[in-house]
Amino acid sequence: MTTLDIYIDDKPLKVEPGKTILEVCRENDIDIPTMCHLDGLTDVGACRLCLVEIEGVNKLQSSCTTKVSANMVIHTQTERLKRYRRITTELFFAERNHICAVCVANGNCELQQLGYKVGMDHIRYPYLFPSCEVDTSHDYMVMDHNRCIMCTRCVRVCGEVEGAYNWDVMNRGFNVRIISDFNTPWGESGTCTSCGKCMHACPTGAIWPKSLSGEQLHKNPEMISELVKKRKMNL
Amino acid sequence: MNRQELHTMAIKAREQQASCKHKIGVCCGAGCISIGAEEVLKKMQEDVKARGLESEVAVVPTGCMGPCNQGPLVKYLPENTIYQKVNAASVAEFNQAQLVEGKPILSSLIFADSRTKPFINAAEDPFFHKQLKIALKDCGELNPEDIDDYLVHGGYTALSKVLFQMSAEEVIAEMKQSRLRGRGGAGYPTGFKWETVYKYVSDQKYVICNGDEGDPGAFMDRSVLEGNPHRVLEGMAIAAFAIGANKGYAYIRGEYPLAIKRIELAIKQAKKIGLLGSNILGSSFSFEVEVRIGAGAFVCGEETALIASIEGKRGTPRPRPPFPAESGLWGKPTLINNVETFAAIVPIINNGGEWYSEIGTPKSAGTKVFALAGKINNAGLIEVAMGTTLREIVYDIGGGIQGEGQFKAAQTGGPSGGCIPASHLDVKMDYEALVSLGSIMGSGGLIIMDEQSDMVDVARFFMEFCMDESCGKCVPCRVGTKMMHDLLEKIYMGSATKLDLDRLEELAIYVREASLCGLGASAPNPFMSTLRHFREEYENKIQPEVQLVKGI
Ligand SMILES: Cc1cc2nc3c(=O)[nH]c(=O)nc-3n(C[C@H](O)[C@H](O)[C@H](O)COP(=O)(O)O)c2cc1C
Ligand code: SF4
Ligand code: SF4
Repeated sequence: MTTLDIYIDDKPLKVEPGKTILEVCRENDIDIPTMCHLDGLTDVGACRLCLVEIEGVNKLQSSCTTKVSANMVIHTQTERLKRYRRITTELFFAERNHICAVCVANGNCELQQLGYKVGMDHIRYPYLFPSCEVDTSHDYMVMDHNRCIMCTRCVRVCGEVEGAYNWDVMNRGFNVRIISDFNTPWGESGTCTSCGKCMHACPTGAIWPKSLSGEQLHKNPEMISELVKKRKMNL
Repeated sequence: MNRQELHTMAIKAREQQASCKHKIGVCCGAGCISIGAEEVLKKMQEDVKARGLESEVAVVPTGCMGPCNQGPLVKYLPENTIYQKVNAASVAEFNQAQLVEGKPILSSLIFADSRTKPFINAAEDPFFHKQLKIALKDCGELNPEDIDDYLVHGGYTALSKVLFQMSAEEVIAEMKQSRLRGRGGAGYPTGFKWETVYKYVSDQKYVICNGDEGDPGAFMDRSVLEGNPHRVLEGMAIAAFAIGANKGYAYIRGEYPLAIKRIELAIKQAKKIGLLGSNILGSSFSFEVEVRIGAGAFVCGEETALIASIEGKRGTPRPRPPFPAESGLWGKPTLINNVETFAAIVPIINNGGEWYSEIGTPKSAGTKVFALAGKINNAGLIEVAMGTTLREIVYDIGGGIQGEGQFKAAQTGGPSGGCIPASHLDVKMDYEALVSLGSIMGSGGLIIMDEQSDMVDVARFFMEFCMDESCGKCVPCRVGTKMMHDLLEKIYMGSATKLDLDRLEELAIYVREASLCGLGASAPNPFMSTLRHFREEYENKIQPEVQLVKGI
């Protein structure tokens, strides 16, 4: 098979064409934080955490959506990128209501992990604290918009993997919200199959199971990735 | 219809027009219509009929004539006398003076209230003679609802020339030679874009005309679509021929009902006589155009969001590459150009790329249409050669600042652009010069401000626009513009400290570099450019630092 020569953080690598920079980095233990990416789902390049510098390209590129090409020279850990990852993380925290101590996902949250990873010791921006809905109308799950970071993993897993298309996005700017069907209570959805994939895909405490009683929330996003892989094998 | 028949049709239409001694154009652009132009048109037609002159005087609605804040405007041809602020009640007086007595009414001539001696032939007024109309050439002259009038003005001869005398490669070479750059904002060389799409091999390609025009205060594209829709269609057809597409979409924002109506009418007329559809003019080239109506989101002017919108999806941008030239509408190679870009194609084909490339500056050829607005005497729609100085635009064409005011700054490029201070009034306006001053050409919004304007307020206004119009997909823009807006508000209200300004500057660079699309990437521009040229206005509003705790 043909391979491409590329450099990541000064390390020469031989890689298969067609892969994204993020895939190559993950295979080579190069740590790039992500939020909207989930193996198996279409990448959207929305969270901007995975930005990298590519020599000769004047814009920062999201590594989840950019394919490797011959002789690419990529930098993933520059001071600038680290600074931007931290600002992005702070903005995530400041946008809605992320007070970890009172969250069901405390200790099992990708956003919380991200905060540790990028070395966030405090948040320099004022918390916006919009007052968002908590939708408890579904029989088994809760959707707490206050904890949502708009990564749209739920939207994509529901459409692409389950094929139900329950979730979507409405509004613009910081007023964007995840909606069920045409913005009706989740419990009244005509499309939701109650499969729970969105709950597992959700990186924060926004979607959680009602069955939670005292024990810790456990999410299994890898299950989604496995599922997609198995389905591809069946084809 | 074949080539010869088109020619015959144009001759016939020309003969018919020649039989009229006078033509009266009533500006029926959206601006003039909003202040009663349709009533004036109706009265004009009635009055001419009442005088029994309908066989020698043609009364027609036209597109925008330019001096929008003086409307409703009426133009008498061949004298080229323009009257301003015409109301339906006084139509008879004008006709009596112009058509019967042959003595113009001086007090109502265009710019009669700001010029000591207004001009009977409007072309002699600096507002007009300092301009160079190429994209807008026939706009305000011909009847946009009449394809015959377009044919009289040489319409569809460029398409005919391309179909029978040129190869796709030759058309592209001509475009490259013209050095035309995209008028939608970024200024990408049009010929190179066409060549890129041409080179992708595909069973299906598309041409899209971007008529979303979401910048506040901009109305260049609207005026072109309203004033000369066939010019845009012909440009699209030529582009389609060059890249190998047979299907086009004209994406026009829903707030432009008149532009939509006129382009739809133009499509119908062109189809009827075989200038759109299968085997155009008997050639092997086929091309259809459909109109798509936008719902008024600024971000839907961004090409990937626009494509998503045509596909029926939520209008949000996606990362590039792949660019639309490779994978655009429904994954097919797609050429997307701005309305004004398409309006420049026909004259380039007719007069040659070399002719166009000699107009303007070394790096920016041709002309640019601006929507001149703000504290200026003659607001409206203008077209000037690239390299015209800001001073000429403001003082010669624009007639100077309103009242006793002094020029303070010009804002170009709307929410994605910046401000040019008085010290740079002699800047030769082109893409590079504006960028070097920290602004951009953008799509052509040009707002003139006097010393009453507070530059922090200007920055806050545009940041609010970007914040509201952010699609909300990516974090730097969705949350970053909100934070920046709140900080600007804090400074404007006088409660911010130096720390806030530092934080704002840091955020500005982050939002610019980390955002997914051009909306976020350029949202900090109004702030950064006002900070660059008017830093003292920010610093004057800042509270002195109070150090409460050491070491933080
Ligand atoms: C937020 C945003 C809004 C835009 N709006 C418009 C618009 O209203 N009209 C337009 O022609 N281009 C607009 N553009 C630029 C388009 O993405 C694209 O570059 C342009 O239509 C290409 O045409 P051109 O090469 O003829 O300029 C916008 C870009 C951004 C980032
Ligand atoms: S609910 Fe969860 S998965 Fe869905 S967008 Fe919000 S944070 Fe992401
Ligand atoms: S920069 Fe703004 S408008 Fe563009 S994708 Fe990001 S959120 Fe949407």
